[in-house]
Amino acid sequence: MATDAQVFPASEPARWTYLDKIRTRPGPFTNRDLFEGKNVAENMEKMKVLVIGAGGLGCEILKNLSMSGFKDIHVIDMDTIDLSNLNRQFLFRHADVGKSKAEVAANFVMKRVKGVKITPHNCMIQDFDEDFYMQFQFVVCGLDSIEARRWINATLVNMVDEEIEDSYKPLIDGGTEGFKGQARVILPTVTSCIECQLDMHAPRAAVPLCTLASIPRQPEHCIEWAHVIAWENEKPFPKLDNDDPAHINWLYQKALLRAMEFNISGVTYSLTQGVVKNIIPAIAATNSVIAAACCNEALKIASNCAPCLGFPDNNYMMYSGNDSIYTYTFKHEKKDDCPVCGNLARELAVDPAWTLQELIDSFAARPEAQLKKPSVRAEGRTLYMQFPPSLEQQTRPNLEKKLTDLGLEQGQEIGVTDPAFATVSFKFKLKFTKKT
Amino acid sequence: MTEIVMSQTPPILHGPSEKERKYDRQLRLWAASGQAALESANILLVNSGAGTVGVETLKNLVLPGIGRSAIYDDETVTEADLGVNFFLEESSLGKSRSQNLTELLLELNPEVQGSWYPNEDIKSLESLLSSPSVFTVILYTNPIKPEYLSLLESYSQKHKTPLVAIHSAGFYSYFQINLPGAFPIVDTHPDETATTDLRLLAPWPELVGFAKDLTRDIDNLSDFEHGHLPYVVILLHYLEKWKADHGGSCPSTYKEKTEFRSIVQKAARTDNAEGGEENFDEAAAAVLKTLVVPSLPSGLKEVFEYEHAEPAEQKSGFWLIADAVKKFYEKHQSLPLPGKVPDMKAQSKVYIQLQNIYKAKARQDAAEILETVQATPGGEDIDPAEVDLFCKNAAFVKLINATGGKIKRADRLKEVAAQEAVSDEMAEMTLQPLSLLPIYLALQPTAHVSSGDKISADGILEGVAKLVPGAEENERVVQAAHEVARAEGGELHNVAALVGGMVAQELIKIVTKQYIPIDNTCVFDGINSRTQVLRL
Amino acid sequence: MLKIWSMKKEQQKAENAEGAAAGGKKKKVTAAQLRVQKDLSELSLGTTMRTDFPDPDDILHFILYIEPDEGMYKGGRFSFTFNITPSFPHEPPKVQCREKIYHPNIDLEGKVCLNILREDWKPVLNLNAVIVGLQFLFLEPNASDPLNKEAAEDLRNNREGFKRNVKTAMQGGAVRGESYERVVV
Repeated sequence: MATDAQVFPASEPARWTYLDKIRTRPGPFTNRDLFEGKNVAENMEKMKVLVIGAGGLGCEILKNLSMSGFKDIHVIDMDTIDLSNLNRQFLFRHADVGKSKAEVAANFVMKRVKGVKITPHNCMIQDFDEDFYMQFQFVVCGLDSIEARRWINATLVNMVDEEIEDSYKPLIDGGTEGFKGQARVILPTVTSCIECQLDMHAPRAAVPLCTLASIPRQPEHCIEWAHVIAWENEKPFPKLDNDDPAHINWLYQKALLRAMEFNISGVTYSLTQGVVKNIIPAIAATNSVIAAACCNEALKIASNCAPCLGFPDNNYMMYSGNDSIYTYTFKHEKKDDCPVCGNLARELAVDPAWTLQELIDSFAARPEAQLKKPSVRAEGRTLYMQFPPSLEQQTRPNLEKKLTDLGLEQGQEIGVTDPAFATVSFKFKLKFTKKT
Repeated sequence: MTEIVMSQTPPILHGPSEKERKYDRQLRLWAASGQAALESANILLVNSGAGTVGVETLKNLVLPGIGRSAIYDDETVTEADLGVNFFLEESSLGKSRSQNLTELLLELNPEVQGSWYPNEDIKSLESLLSSPSVFTVILYTNPIKPEYLSLLESYSQKHKTPLVAIHSAGFYSYFQINLPGAFPIVDTHPDETATTDLRLLAPWPELVGFAKDLTRDIDNLSDFEHGHLPYVVILLHYLEKWKADHGGSCPSTYKEKTEFRSIVQKAARTDNAEGGEENFDEAAAAVLKTLVVPSLPSGLKEVFEYEHAEPAEQKSGFWLIADAVKKFYEKHQSLPLPGKVPDMKAQSKVYIQLQNIYKAKARQDAAEILETVQATPGGEDIDPAEVDLFCKNAAFVKLINATGGKIKRADRLKEVAAQEAVSDEMAEMTLQPLSLLPIYLALQPTAHVSSGDKISADGILEGVAKLVPGAEENERVVQAAHEVARAEGGELHNVAALVGGMVAQELIKIVTKQYIPIDNTCVFDGINSRTQVLRL
Repeated sequence: MLKIWSMKKEQQKAENAEGAAAGGKKKKVTAAQLRVQKDLSELSLGTTMRTDFPDPDDILHFILYIEPDEGMYKGGRFSFTFNITPSFPHEPPKVQCREKIYHPNIDLEGKVCLNILREDWKPVLNLNAVIVGLQFLFLEPNASDPLNKEAAEDLRNNREGFKRNVKTAMQGGAVRGESYERVVV
């Protein structure tokens, strides 16, 4: 079996000897149809990989990918280094506080690991368009915000173009909270996506506004009151900055006075900060587990030297270290009605010379759904809404206009809804039948 | 006991210290007490083989501020080390691995003390282990020289030091924690939702009186008051009524409880603006959860029934308190009240009163236990805070490694192998994942094979046959042996980092005595991204 | 590199699934916007409500006017700003009353205490559920969990007095030393 197979080192064979034995030789579980040891090391050195987040997980991911034979890595993070990062974000030192996370992390890893190139981007993921994301072979995410995860997920799923092999970008995502975490692999349109899996994130329990206003019982109620109500009424500073100790102090004082009024104990500065910033406890050990689980999948995806999560079955690993160690690795099923991956745009052949009215009439004849009262929008452009009346009136003049005069272009997406289809909405990608 | 009374003016603000700010995200998990324990710990890593998994573990302990770390490592840095170990650099080549690792690890946290061996003064593991420095925990990584292992084992026995073995090769890894005796944990951090203990079936006079006062004239309460009765009070009121109609007994069967629930539900007023009452909804929802006759939780039962292997153990604070709690339980047929009241719809003042009634009872119970402890020889100096903590967590106290070394390890492995084989046969029916024991078995024969030496799959299987005769024919063991052979003793950085994270979590749990450590072996399969904990 | 493309082909062969459309990298319709579009086209405003979109191309921001035709607030016109974030429907819309009004469940800043706008929001709820809830607040103001405590006390203790105060406040008068905005049509 495996052990006698040949090793195929690319460059620096002595350095990567352990890695090459695994990634360039098949093992008993390697899928031989996909695996070709000869090209693995060389291909991996050429791959371009994107890391999103240079925080707790991101620092680990950058280290792990550089120690896994990847040589061209980009990293995006808009944050600067804070003192409270130093208990786990091991690429940063005290002297780095205030500097860009992406830049410091990139420089550190490049200095430590010979031959790896890391390109930092000190900005938001939303600052880049599809052309940027298209250049990478896969994306590894270490984020603390669900919002950003959903954005990159939707972007990568939307980039899928059946005709273009290279448009399928695997997304490997990790997250932690205290001693717990999860690692998952998303193969756009093949496995379930982040949007399908949103139910795995428990939403933050909200307290009724009226409880805060009139019957507080817990220290958290006093803090939320200071945060949501007292701040708005008194506006002690122009804009609340959660990272400004003076602002947190103000909220703490307010919360404390309110707690005394109601004989509630337990309001502390630390709790105030925790509630206001929604702080999630984080430690180096858990980040190490989850980031490594993600990068282990990255190595398998890049080399095919062992089967990865996502294909054929399990795509999600849950980890908990609170009570012994418990992992649950399972297949999270794709949702047919997922608004991101369950609703890809279909092609719609239209004559660019049509008026909007003609386009709308044509929906009534579509085989998949005879839309009698369709409302139509493009991103950032309301074309025609049947309802509510004020919008109908505002958009009615568009009906007479030609599609091209409305700014619609070849390949543009439009969203179509109809009250007759309560649970579905349609996305179409315009394909002009004539030159414009 | 003293109660801290809050002064009427807010205290002068002391923002968090620099250290509190740096450690903020972890203090929210293990608090100042856990941090103090961590900072007084002294960890030794005896590093061998490819040498990454132990270092990744230390990284995750240096960052949160472990007190001292020491590395013993005979190797000098090679080119292959630079391809797997992040805490070495080009300039380390050819130099002492322990020294270079220590220097780059200590950069991560200036508050941590570190030392490396062998050095000018201490030239061997033997002399290190006979030095006055006492280690809190010792880690070693396979493949280790057999003579080193026996040195460590005898040190561990002599000093009662937890000894952790780690082995990482290719996609496979395991680690095993050998605790020197039974290891009790009080501060187990159970899920918030599991901790509610309201004693509705056995309320004490103050609680009964409070509920009666609020519900004496329940039908004539204003909508506002009625809609703000705490659900505890609602349930106590209708329980009284139920008992009056049922010869003094509480609803006990499922059928009775659902009947009781609908009585509570129907008692809500619906002719108000909201068309219902949230507090009655809460009361109805709490019926099945809270009307439960308390039984002795399994973790605590194990503590109560534990027979001490050594008399010295019995004198520790934990066991003295445990004995007192046992006496309390035998006398009252209930555990000390934890005293926490979950949030529920209620007026602020009423809720705080209710909270104080629970707190007062909890203090009373704790005081009784403290008295028993102090009356026991050796119990005079027990910290009352330790008693309080035990009382708050009594239902969730846990004993790890309770059976210690009573069964010989080699026999236990055979026993577990037989059990795992049976459960694998039924796996398809029970939908349980397959055992990871084959990975452990395949790694065992390489525990002392240094990373330069190749060992074939056949060689590994021969070793397996000696451990568990017959296992070498199991198809999954054969596959695992081939997978281990493929690595030739080399580590994958990701697997080392992953397992280093798990081991660090476990050491934090052991050092802080918080959360619950594994008992005692964790196997990781990097091909399927799974773990399994086995008691071996 | 894992070949998702060929995997996908296999998967499609098996499922005989319908493919997605090809070509282009033009602006995509986001999930939040499509959902708002759907919710808007299903609103039931009746005769007492209407919407106003300052920018019809931006459907995430609009104003809702309510003119109750019964109850204590009859004769007034109340307006609410709706701010919908890209996280909709996983986050509720942010709704605020634009006038300073005398109401137990709306504070002087315009914050609204409506369970489905905060603790009881679920993605299956839609904008119609929100406007129905707002409308209900004017028909049945609720004294038990107030944001405006004074108004709630008045409602609880003296319903007739409360009704008079509502009239005064809607005319732009002062109640308990607090002056309110004129909202009568």
